[in-house]
Amino acid sequence: MKILIIEDEREISQSIKDYFKTNGIQCETAENYNLALSKIGSYDYDCILLDLMLPDGDGFEILKELKSKNKTEGVIIISAKENLETRLEGFNLGADDYLTKPFHLAELLVRMQALIRRKNFKGSNSIIFNEIVVDIFSKTVTVNDTKLDLTKKELDLLLFLIGNENKVLSKSAIAEHLSGDMADMLDNHDFIYAHIKNLKKKLTQAGGGDYIKTIYGLGYKWENE
Amino acid sequence: MNNKKLLHKTTNSFLLFAVLLLLIAAPVFYYICQWLYIYETDEVLLFHKEAFVSESHNNYTQDDIAAWNKYNQNVSIVADMGVTKDSIVGKMLFEPEANEEEPFRILYAPVDINGKRYTYIEKRNLVEMEGMVVSVAAMFLFIIIILLTGIIWISKRLAEKIWKPFYNTLGQIQDFEIDKNNPPNFIPTDIDEFDRLNKSLERLIEKNTAIYKNQREFVENAAHELQTPLALFQTKIDTLLQLDLTREQSELVGSLNKDVSRLNRLNKNLLLLSKIDNEIYLEQETIIVNEYIEKHLDFFIEQAQAKNLTISTNFNSILSIKGNKAMAEVLLNNLFLNAIRHNIKNGIIEIVTKNNSLKFINTGAEIPLIEQTIFNRFSKLNPSSQGNGLGLAIIKKICDISHWNIRYSFENNRHTFEVTF
Repeated sequence: MKILIIEDEREISQSIKDYFKTNGIQCETAENYNLALSKIGSYDYDCILLDLMLPDGDGFEILKELKSKNKTEGVIIISAKENLETRLEGFNLGADDYLTKPFHLAELLVRMQALIRRKNFKGSNSIIFNEIVVDIFSKTVTVNDTKLDLTKKELDLLLFLIGNENKVLSKSAIAEHLSGDMADMLDNHDFIYAHIKNLKKKLTQAGGGDYIKTIYGLGYKWENE
Repeated sequence: MNNKKLLHKTTNSFLLFAVLLLLIAAPVFYYICQWLYIYETDEVLLFHKEAFVSESHNNYTQDDIAAWNKYNQNVSIVADMGVTKDSIVGKMLFEPEANEEEPFRILYAPVDINGKRYTYIEKRNLVEMEGMVVSVAAMFLFIIIILLTGIIWISKRLAEKIWKPFYNTLGQIQDFEIDKNNPPNFIPTDIDEFDRLNKSLERLIEKNTAIYKNQREFVENAAHELQTPLALFQTKIDTLLQLDLTREQSELVGSLNKDVSRLNRLNKNLLLLSKIDNEIYLEQETIIVNEYIEKHLDFFIEQAQAKNLTISTNFNSILSIKGNKAMAEVLLNNLFLNAIRHNIKNGIIEIVTKNNSLKFINTGAEIPLIEQTIFNRFSKLNPSSQGNGLGLAIIKKICDISHWNIRYSFENNRHTFEVTF
């Protein structure tokens, strides 16, 4: 899988690149508008991460360019601008998702995975991890063909964990993922503990492996035993 | 203090002066008139006597005097009463025609007739004086009253006209709010003082608005500029998390991560505050408060679990409000999280809707908060708490721009925030 990161802050694109590398995602970077345009013109990507504020141009222009060239890449806008107008304009110009800076790399990764899943949808849409099968469409989870009864939050959590396989996830990253728009107001992230505990119990009771590891002082990690 | 209007103040002074003048002038005038009349009467009496003497009645006989006395009602010559010089006295005498006692002036004067001393007595009725003095006084009063009312009326009209630009300026200043974009537009005036007042005010407002805008922009720009370094900070910590860390290092990174989350939240809230200031959210729609709370109750119950709070709702009415949806949601979330954040273990939260008001009642610290300052930015009761001191400022701001009313009260160890829509 190959993606293009259009971002003028090299350190941010480098962090993304490093984080995604272990998930088999190949990242190319473009620090400015012109470079981005030439890369888009020459290659096809699975996904484009787009910063709106570039030193030599407007990110929206890149969206227009993609549209005019009938490119079908999924685009996630990563921007420091946070208001309804820019968000709506981004979606109108063909962006698929919008993530406000600062964000967690884990969040970016699962959003990208979800986007690529949607784009590459071919009949079935399930995530398989050993004995665990998650059907995105019907929102059902089976372990060794036994259906699990998960709450919406638990399902969300499971997808977040599997998506970030082998990555240490901080409590705040999980809490912010689970609480969506409300995240900015939460000052206590302990509520995720209950969700983790319940999910863990449901998975192991159905005969699944104990993949959720607690990392002392930091958070959790989904790890193949 | 009992404030009076400027116009009333001048008019009142005039009125007071007029009343005082009337009260003092009326009796003084009356007595002066009376005194003058009596003085004139006495002059006339003496003049008559002089005339009597000089018209040489010296040769009057006893019979002549009797005849004189017979035909003259007001003047009589009587035997010497021992009067040595002219003397005039005031006396009440019975007047048969009027059948009552009336005031008289009586002159007693010594006269010599045929070498014999007699006393000359002449009396004059003062009744006509009474009537005249009263009517003169009445006329005088009438003129004074007309004069004074005229002066008051004219001065009032004139003052109204003169002060009109002042009142216009005053009205505009009263309506002026620095955070709204409505600079006052003073009407030009040809009165120098008011013109200077207007110009000074204009300059003052212009300067302050500029400072205010500058400060607002500074907060907004600072918050915006902080987002990129914060993003760098966050992504680097996320990267750091993936390294093989010792227990000690993990703890450090974990607490760093908490700090950056807190910074993020603070920054987002600052951005939100400046966004409300700029009133980007203007679209109005109808929001059913009860529905929103019920829909998100699970989320809040989850947040409250750590403190084992009991949350109950008491919806007496369907609260349907008009306002900006995003702002109303931020308001409700903040109120709810505020009630959770400042609660105690095993505490309670009660949400009540009644008529057009919404109440969040919660247990917490057993002392009332200081109502004057709780809605200020960064006013925290407990400096070590995780809250960033912006929650209530945001609540207040949203209420202000939406023209809702927020009130805090403390009763029976319960903190209550009530929003009236």
